[in-house]
Amino acid sequence: MAYQQSQAPVGTWSRIMLAYKRHAGSWAWMLHRVSGVALTVYLFVHILALRGLTQGMQAFNDEMATFTQPVFKVAEWGLFAFVIFHSMNGIRIATVDLGNGSRYHKFTLRIVYFIGITLMLFMAVLIFMDPFADKH
Amino acid sequence: MENPTTTAPEPALAPPALEVNVRATKSRRSAFAWYFQRISGLLLVLFTIGHFFMVHWTEMSGHDFNRSVDRLSDPMFQFLYLGFIVLGMYHGVQGMWNILRDYKLPRGLYIGALVVLIGAALFFTYLGFDTVLSVHNWKLN
Repeated sequence: MAYQQSQAPVGTWSRIMLAYKRHAGSWAWMLHRVSGVALTVYLFVHILALRGLTQGMQAFNDEMATFTQPVFKVAEWGLFAFVIFHSMNGIRIATVDLGNGSRYHKFTLRIVYFIGITLMLFMAVLIFMDPFADKH
Repeated sequence: MENPTTTAPEPALAPPALEVNVRATKSRRSAFAWYFQRISGLLLVLFTIGHFFMVHWTEMSGHDFNRSVDRLSDPMFQFLYLGFIVLGMYHGVQGMWNILRDYKLPRGLYIGALVVLIGAALFFTYLGFDTVLSVHNWKLN
């Protein structure tokens, strides 16, 4: 379909955005977009960071040492949150679009939140307490 | 009294309107993009789970240089990671393109944003491919 330019002035975007009703599905829709944009940007940054491999062992290992700083551990946890939500909500969207999931979409969203928060807590233990430190 | 909403029979779905079918035939590219966005997303979930366990909890795990060289010297891993990059870029660009379309930006801004988005995706895809495929030329010290 041909691109159609909006007739509304630019300043109304935020008002349209803020006018959306905050039902369960709306929150899921917004979170899916925010996490999707963040993961795309992360993919760019991840590829850029691994570029250090071409600079040799010393350069790459120094770079990896930087990523063990506490601030990156928090960022890693946030990344995990985005990945988990986007993955599970994406599967939920696929069940709605390709199957009969629209009948259960609120229930499946509750499952997404429940499993997501559980995995976040589990990952917090792995990242911040590192119980398998002696294994690696 | 019993809640009538729980006992009422579910209404049958109305047959699709002719107009919808006509429009659908005119937008096969969009339909493919919509469908493949779901398929690529499901594949990416599988890739991501595999990547996570492989990097953290297997014999090949490790974030240091030597482990990375070992993994990426294997043609199977090279194939998997190049596929990961392509699918991830496709899924990400298609998703962000959808967002751009939703807000009906002024035409110049829309085209400009699209050029930056696709340009960035092509550039980082090239960078990822070059990193993976040049593994035998990485400095080993």
